[in-house]
Parts: sequence; structure tokens; C-alpha cells
Amino acid sequence: MANAYVAKKRAQHLASTLLGAALALFAACSAVPPADQSGSAAGPLEEIVVTGSRNGPRGGSVSPLQAERQVMTSPQAIVTLEADEAALRVAGVRPGGSQLLSQVQPGEELWVIQTVSAETATEDTEPGSGTMLALVAATRGVPPTEVPLPLRHTDVRAVVTGYISAVDVTQQFENPYDEKIEAVYLFPLPEKAAVNEFVMTIGERKIRGILREKEEAQRIYEDARAQGYRASLLVQHRPNIFEQKVANIEPGKRIDVNIRYFHTLAYEDGWYSFVFPTVVGPRYNPQGSKSPVAALPRENFSNEAAGTAVRYLRPTERSAHDIGISIDVDAGVAIEELTASHEIVTRRDGESVAHVALAGGSTMPNRDFILKFRVAGETIKTNLLTYTDERTEQGYFTLLVYPPARQTALRRQPVEMVFVVDTSGSMSGQPIAQARAAIDAALDRLERGDTFQIMNFSYDVKQFASRPVAATDENIRRARDYVRQLGGQGGTEMLSGIRAALGFPRDAERTRFVTFLTDGYIGNEVEILGEVQRTIGDARIFSFGVGNSVNRYLLDGLATEGRGTVAYLGLNDSAEEVMAYYFERISRPALTDVAIDWNGLATTDVYPARLPDLFAGRPIVVTGKFRGRVGDVGIRGRLGAERVAFGVGAAHDSQQPALRSLWARLRIEDLARRQTRSGDPGGALANSIRATALEHSLMSAYTSFVAVDASERTAGDRGTTVNQAVPVPAGVRYDTTVIADR
Amino acid sequence: MSWRLLQMSLRVLCVAAALQLAAQPEAGVFTTVDVFVVSDTPVAAWQVELTERRGTMQIVGIESGDDSSFRDPPFYDRVATMRGATDRIVLASFSLSEAEQLQRGRVRIARLHVRTVGAAQPDYEARLVAAGTSDGRPIDAQLNLETQPGR
Repeated sequence: MANAYVAKKRAQHLASTLLGAALALFAACSAVPPADQSGSAAGPLEEIVVTGSRNGPRGGSVSPLQAERQVMTSPQAIVTLEADEAALRVAGVRPGGSQLLSQVQPGEELWVIQTVSAETATEDTEPGSGTMLALVAATRGVPPTEVPLPLRHTDVRAVVTGYISAVDVTQQFENPYDEKIEAVYLFPLPEKAAVNEFVMTIGERKIRGILREKEEAQRIYEDARAQGYRASLLVQHRPNIFEQKVANIEPGKRIDVNIRYFHTLAYEDGWYSFVFPTVVGPRYNPQGSKSPVAALPRENFSNEAAGTAVRYLRPTERSAHDIGISIDVDAGVAIEELTASHEIVTRRDGESVAHVALAGGSTMPNRDFILKFRVAGETIKTNLLTYTDERTEQGYFTLLVYPPARQTALRRQPVEMVFVVDTSGSMSGQPIAQARAAIDAALDRLERGDTFQIMNFSYDVKQFASRPVAATDENIRRARDYVRQLGGQGGTEMLSGIRAALGFPRDAERTRFVTFLTDGYIGNEVEILGEVQRTIGDARIFSFGVGNSVNRYLLDGLATEGRGTVAYLGLNDSAEEVMAYYFERISRPALTDVAIDWNGLATTDVYPARLPDLFAGRPIVVTGKFRGRVGDVGIRGRLGAERVAFGVGAAHDSQQPALRSLWARLRIEDLARRQTRSGDPGGALANSIRATALEHSLMSAYTSFVAVDASERTAGDRGTTVNQAVPVPAGVRYDTTVIADR
Repeated sequence: MSWRLLQMSLRVLCVAAALQLAAQPEAGVFTTVDVFVVSDTPVAAWQVELTERRGTMQIVGIESGDDSSFRDPPFYDRVATMRGATDRIVLASFSLSEAEQLQRGRVRIARLHVRTVGAAQPDYEARLVAAGTSDGRPIDAQLNLETQPGR
């Protein structure tokens, strides 16, 4: 096995085609003798030495080069070197002597993906192993190579009414090959999406899919596929990760799949947010993960049996897949401002209605689309929406509980602030820079009487001080120095980070606020959330999603289990501004012991069952079932030592059946949380999830949609499976996240 | 010694083959069932109950009929496809089009895509639960079924 890999990216000189890259790779490999050959360069590498001027390399874990000679021996080094002005020499040192591996000219980059350790090097005696020098085209200045893949376009059409959205997603699959294929595509949806419709379209014909138990749907699909019938199958791997399979797409033919879901918009500090995620970020799966989501190179087919895998395009590649988004917003009250993560075209139709579409019609799907709109300042208040199913006379409600205005008049008590930063490889580059800026801004806002600690984790956990320290000027200065040296490298052992942050003795004088900064790119979410459930005690977790396509299921889950709130820090957002909002929120006491007075109304299955604290600017949404007539409803709580109560306006009959689906989706989420706590993936809770999903026609971990066109078989055998490779999210580095041994 | 080894190897191979067979999905027969309504009055909304008397039916898709003014494929009763319920389904659809835009006579209103497993031939029975005009009046219409094996 090769245990060192050096990849050189040339900015402008190399051909951008795959063929060019392959030839370059071949030539480079041929140029480096394998380890068992004789000569001065024979034998395994012991170290890699970079020599150059002090103005030379930057970036990665050895940058900037402090001396004219730098040695890399770390077994896990993933390093980027870039020559600015003078050439760098990169040499491999073997027992018999050293050998020049590469020279890096100004404008070029060199990746040292992994260097050797002496321990592994001694075992490296296979013919053909040793150092592999690969030359691949870079993205800078070279147009990416287009890789033919079946997913051509995703069309998203959403209708937002108040804070509920109905979203239609159409995926257009087309076979660009000369033989029949099965297309497989792993994609994200919002973590609380209630997916309840599935239609396969072949030409003008529309076939509605049927929701069945997962294994049964899988059997039907495989049988249809084996017999040559066109079929499609939708499977849920996580509440926010789904897999679409489309079988027997003939050469040049197209099959569309339409998915419909409902979800509620988040509301924070005056803004509603509609989010459509476009790509699953590359996940790290700790050893022993029960249900990993592997991040593999496009051409890696080795992981089929090991679990779910996302295949990624190289930075030098792209597919023809693009995405179009249009949204009709009817806010019900005047919309004062609209903003989006992408360039949009907006058409207003009255004060409360707006039609929004992506400018240019479509875009590359490599970062979340986020539309935010601010409604008139004083019009947001606690309100109750209802829907009654005429057939069963069952009522459903959603209650938006908005914090009382007087909450903002009081000051907070001293806190013990624990910053926990993900410093794994996926955070390398822009994300870690944003996280550093966020902590820097937060340190500015600590008050006398507060204490703080900084922890960072990748393969293991490191911390700023042995225990939380007082927020003095000197401690804050030292903390800034500590934060400045944080980089992104290695795995994401988040469980260790959680245990470290919640595990040390509590301060009786201060509430512990754990501020978690991560992209959430891990595959063991259930274990993480289970650990938080067990160990949270009276601490609070405030999670910050750092990046453009973060794992919102994990981040929202951390905040929910940690009875805090979640915020998102995009790569182009102002870290100072986001932290200012955060401190504004926690600088006021939360409304605690929140309870709803239903005034005799028979309510059941209310979610969340235990109401969280109510922070300034952050309402909570309560959803449940009822029977009977809705009368006066009130909210009670405690603000510091004072008891407060306020009323809810008259209930509004929304006439929206979506409330039923949203309630069922929350019930499934609640059952899944209880399942996580119990540690039992089967049993009665699984049956309850299955029954709820089937009754309400919802996707879940136990139910899947399947559709078969039984009218006609396609010719030939079952066809080749083609995995739809996707780009890594914008701002995430392929070289530090997508590697073959993940 | 070698004879015993051979016997053991054969046993292991037989068990492996049996396990592999068990792991393969049972091959079903895919067919379509076309549902027709016969009415001189244009039908704007309908509800049909389909029963398979031998319990072999598994609905795997529901396709729109021939009248394109019905925009969506028919909806189905979710409970009928829950575990164990393979012999009955209730379908419904509606169109918001004006009467003159709707078809009349013998019109295919839905095509069911069905998978059956086992030797028994399916025995279908359909009942028109309700049919109505665009202004909400009930219609007394006829119902026909046509089955077609997958080509």
C-alpha cells in the first residue's frame, strides 16, 4: 500500500481533461521509482522535506514556512503548500537517501495528502508502492471538465403561506449513455420536511407512487428493476438525507420524479427563513458508526455494502446538473424586506405578497438556498392556527408562542461560557476562519463575572485552560492567541467534544452555556444527540452551523436537546453580526417554566411535550391535536423571579390540511428522539413511527415511496448503476474531506 | 478425512445457496388494471373502490386516466395500503374544469399498476362509490375494468 501521496495542482499549464490528468498521473507515477527498486531512492519514505524561501508556502498545517527547511512526518498530515514568489523543492527522504519529488513554482499548489510514519513505512514492501506523485488540473483559470451524469436538473417550486411552505421538487433524470442505467442520487431536504407525495413522470404519463414499509418497497423496486420495468424508489437515510433510485432509464430517455413536502419556516429576530439545501456535505464517520454516510471520490465503487455513500466530483469537474428555484410568498402581513443567499429576481404583488426566483433561472447546486423576509416589526405576535379534518372531526393546531416584549428590559445573570470548536479537516480554510472570527467577537462581549473555556476537537479534544477562567482582560488576550492558531485537520470525533464540554464539574453560581461551532459533517448524529440527552443536565447548548451547506439536522438537534437555540453562520456572513444577535438573545433572561393554559380544550399529542425556554426574539412553535371548540388560550411562565401571563389572540381556522402532515412529522420526530434515548432501534417505538408514517402517508426511517410503470418492459438486462456524483459544498475542501479511506 | 471435508464443503455450499435464494426478492407478475367510467354526462369527480378477492394484489403505482383535465394522478386511501391490507384500495380524483372541457362516454379514469405474487390469478371487483358533475350533482354511471399484463 502506498502510504504517502503527493498531489500537485497546476494552475494554468495542464490540460483540463480527464485524459490529460490521467496521462499526467501516469507519467508522474512512472517518474517515481517504486519502493522495492534499487538505487538511492529505493525504500519507504521516512519524511518529506520542503525547502524554499520564507515567502514561499502558506496554508495548511505547516504554514507559513518559518524556516528555509521544513520536515513533515505526521502520519495524518493533509497540507497545502503554495509558492508565492520563489520555487519550493519537495523531497522525499528514504533510508538510501533523498529524492526530489516535485518543485512548486509560483502560482502552483502542492498537496501532501499523507506523509509516512516510520511504523507503517517498514511494512510497505509491496511492488509498486511508495510515493505517488499526481498531477491534476486545478480549478484556477482552467474550465472544469464536464462529467456525464444522469441528473440534469432539479426544479423547486414553493408556496409560502404565513410560516408554512409547500414545496414541489422535480428531479429530471436523463440517460446520457449508450446502455440502460439505474440512477442513484443521494440528496438533502430540510430536516423537518414532511414528505407526503411522490409522482414518477414518463413523457406525459404521471404515476403516483405508493408509500409502503421500507423493506416491502425495496422488494417491489428490485423485482421491477430485475424484470426491466421502469421504477423509482425514495428512501430516507436521515431526516435530512434521502436516496432516489430510478431504474431502467433507456439511452437518451428521461424520467422525472416529483416529491412534495411541507415544512415550517424558522423565525429569528424579525426574519422568517426559507431554506432549501442542495448538497449533502462530506461526513466523517468515527470507527464503529452504526449507519455511516461515507464521502467517496466519484469513481469509488467499493463501499456499496458498508452503508450510505455520497460520491463527490473533484474540484476540477462538474456535472450538467443545475437547480432552478421559484417561491411565492404570501406572508399575511406586510413584507418590509427580502434578502437571499443567491442573486434573485423579485416581483411584488401588494404589500404582503412576493414572487421570488433565482436570477438567470438556475444555479450550480453547491450551497444552501436561503430566502429571508422581514415582516412589519410590531405585527408578529403569539397566534394559533387550526385545521379540522371533516371526515374524522379531528382537529390539529400550530401555536406560535412569541416572547413578551418586556423580556428585553431585564439583564442576564453571569454565565460559564464554553466554546467548543470543530477543528476537523472539513472546517479547514474559510469555515475555521469564520469560527475563529465568531469566538473573537464573542470574547468581546463577555462580562465581568462571567467565566469561559475554549475547547477544540478533531481526532481528540484540546482546551485553552485546565478549567474555566474568569473573563479578565489578560485571560481574554491569551484566549485570542489560542484561537488564532486553530486550524482544520483530521477527523470529527464530536462525541469526545460533547463529553468534554458537558462532563466537567458544574459551577453552582453560573449556568453553563455551551457554544458549539461546527459544520456538522459527521455520520453518527444519533449517538451524538443521545449523548446530549443523557448528559445535558441544566446546561444549555447553542449551536452555530458554520458553512454554506451545513448539517441542519444535527445542529437543530443539538439546540433542541440542549434547550438552547441554533444559528447559522454562512461563509459570507458577518461573524460579528451573528454573534451580536446571539449575545443579544442570551443577554436577556429567558422565559422559563413556560406552560399553555388551554382553558378546558381537550388537547393530545402536543409537541414539543416539554416546552423549552423562550429566548428574546425566538418564538417557539407548538403543534398538537384537539377536539372541540377552541376558546381563550393563555401562556404562563417565569421571568427571573416574577410570574408572567399573557393571552393568545383568537384561533384562526387555516383550512390547511398541511397542519395534519406537520403534526404527524413532529410526532415521528418525537418518537425517534425517544427511540434514541432508549437505545432500541426496534420495538414498540419503531412500530409507532411506522404506523404514524403509513397513516399520514409520510416518509420516515421505516417507510419508502415506490412507483412502477407496469405497462411495458424495457429491452435488455437490468442496466448499470450510475451514482450521481455531486460537488463538495462551496467553501469545503475536497482534499481534506473526500479521501478513499473514509 | 478428505471425504468428510468434501461433505462439509458441500453442506456449506448448499446452505449458502439456500440463503442466497431466500435473500432474492420473490418475482412477482406486473400488470395494469384500467378503470373506465361510462356516462353520457361528463364526470368531474369520482370515487372507486377496487377489491381483489384472492388477496394477491399489491398496488405499485396509480396513473392518471385519458382526460387531461384531471391534472393530478388519482389519490388513494392511505389506510388501504397499510400492512396486511393488500386486497382493497379506494381511489378518488376530481377536475376543476368546466363541463364542456370534460370527456363523456367511455372514459378511462385511472390505470393501476399492480404486482401479484403466487400462482392464483387475481380476481378484481370494482365499485363506483360516487361520481359527480362539475356543479356537484351525482351521476349514475357504469364502471368497467380491463387488465393487461406488462408487455
